[in-house]
Amino acid sequence: MDPIRRSLLGQLAKLTAGAALVPLSSVASAGINDQPPRRGGNPEKRYGMLIDLRRCIGCQACTVSCHIENAAPLGNFRTVVSQFEVEHEETGELATFMLPRLCNHCENPPCVPVCPVQATFQREDGIVVVDSDRCVGCAYCVNACPYDARFINPRTQTADKCTFCAHRLEANLLPACVESCVGGARIIGDMRDPESEISQLIEQHRNELMVLKPEKNTLPQVFYLGMDERFTTRPDGIKPAIWDVANQNGKEIGYEFDGH
Amino acid sequence: MNSMAIEMLVPRYGIAWYPWAVQYFFLIALSYATLWLAVPGLIFGKKAWMPTARIAMLACVTTTLVGPVALLADLHQPLRFWHFYGYPTPRSWMSLGSFILPLYLGSVVVLAWMSWRPALKECSQASDGWFSKVAGWLSWGNWKIPRPLMVLVGLAALALSIGIMLYTGAEVAIVRARPLWHTYWLPFAFVATGFIGACGLVMLLNRISQARNAIINRQMFSVMIGACIAMGFIALTWFLDGVNAVDGSVAIALDSIKDSTQWRNTALWGSVAGIALFVIAIILRLRERLWGWGWLVGLLALHVAWMFRWVVLMNVQTVARNSAGYHNYDMAFGSYGLMGILGTFGLWIAAILLIDLLIPWRGHEARAITDKSSSSSDISTGAPSHG
Repeated sequence: MDPIRRSLLGQLAKLTAGAALVPLSSVASAGINDQPPRRGGNPEKRYGMLIDLRRCIGCQACTVSCHIENAAPLGNFRTVVSQFEVEHEETGELATFMLPRLCNHCENPPCVPVCPVQATFQREDGIVVVDSDRCVGCAYCVNACPYDARFINPRTQTADKCTFCAHRLEANLLPACVESCVGGARIIGDMRDPESEISQLIEQHRNELMVLKPEKNTLPQVFYLGMDERFTTRPDGIKPAIWDVANQNGKEIGYEFDGH
Repeated sequence: MNSMAIEMLVPRYGIAWYPWAVQYFFLIALSYATLWLAVPGLIFGKKAWMPTARIAMLACVTTTLVGPVALLADLHQPLRFWHFYGYPTPRSWMSLGSFILPLYLGSVVVLAWMSWRPALKECSQASDGWFSKVAGWLSWGNWKIPRPLMVLVGLAALALSIGIMLYTGAEVAIVRARPLWHTYWLPFAFVATGFIGACGLVMLLNRISQARNAIINRQMFSVMIGACIAMGFIALTWFLDGVNAVDGSVAIALDSIKDSTQWRNTALWGSVAGIALFVIAIILRLRERLWGWGWLVGLLALHVAWMFRWVVLMNVQTVARNSAGYHNYDMAFGSYGLMGILGTFGLWIAAILLIDLLIPWRGHEARAITDKSSSSSDISTGAPSHG
């Protein structure tokens, strides 16, 4: 029997056996859209990230190194640094504000319960991952994430996102974005270990730390130090930059990624 | 903010749900609404609703068959659809829907078959070449379907259709990340516009199938007026919830689009089309000699139902969540865009034609249509003929 058919039959067997075994009470008590139990990962750890915005210079080294490390298709990003030009209305003084974005590996991730096939799940160490062999590419999670941290990878046709470089953490390496950050702005670590750098920084700056979109009740685990509160939600009154760069014939350039 | 900010660098976020989703939500809404239009005649034995029930059943079966095809196409990995059944996830509305949908589809097909079977049997006894042969196969045996069994299947379909209404609405409405979706009113709005579109579709099929039954149009005008009132109430309450900040999400939703001319135009267009539909439906309902124009009102109703879904599912996805402004969405020509939309409609028309060809779905009215003697209810005068 060919492997595909064998696996299909195997799954069907699991389905029927599963249907017989699932006690009705557990179905009734599992509320719709509740968080499922976490699975995999190290239960003794809880990874989180602290981004010290005072040290970010907006060089996009994290963006590039993540792109290379995780082979994201051009035009899609697991992490990126948003940049704003801020002008003081009275003095006309100019400043640049940098905002690195990535998956917040929320304590209450809205992308997880919506997944219809449990392909996206949260590990016991808090990292939210996608099983791309199981993902059906329905993109429900992409819409459910308030941070635009997910996308459909056009190469695999499945959901793709930041994993805190879980494969590197397991090999005792830092995530690519942390490793390449020239200012040392990104700090990752185990928040359950009181001795870790991130735990100490959180303890030290407890009242200054901010997270993105706290009102969504997602409890993000990426904390920003040196944040301006006005940038934690969708910026109000901010002008969008020019996204589409057109050539003299009006044809768009800059997003020509077809065939790469 | 005493400072101005310009966003300098931001990636472009594409849309995640394609026009396929609009097609599915459109067709499945027509499906459950036409089922509800069919049951008074078909299941509850209201004789006056029988002509409506026949047309509504044709509409219901075809939309129920084609809708899931569009849904499947919206998956980026359509061949993995069996994962829905391999890994059931009762906490996800989409997973719940994947279980409700095939049951609903099955019940609708069985109900339609039961309602068409007497005519199929009659057709199989006539000597009409292989049409009779096909009718013989489809009617499957010479036994009689007990009426209670048909009522039971009808009620099951009705119950499952409530499941479809609930899951399609809730699936979108729970997405907190998109404030324009995250409202209790959205599922109700889907149902109300679904009924508006379904009434329009029945009137359109009433015309092009040459049934041209005046009673059908009268009934559809009445239901459509009711659905328009319901939708007006829903839209107004949603808006007031936002303006008065009763519902924080609606307030954020209104805030996110208040400065956009495109959204203002869309809102204006939707309101004008909806109100126009409502007024025209009332006028036509009151003037019997204008009932022949029902099909034109039907087209407008279908437009309203489809556009509502386009705005909700496509336009909302272009509202930036983390950056300023709106993302560009240019509809692709290929299967992720225009061809997908046209293809779904083409498949739907093919399904209607195929059923029309092989199945005597008109029942006993078929003769009335062919011999043109049904002058009492014929509304073909006053409206252009399309053959």
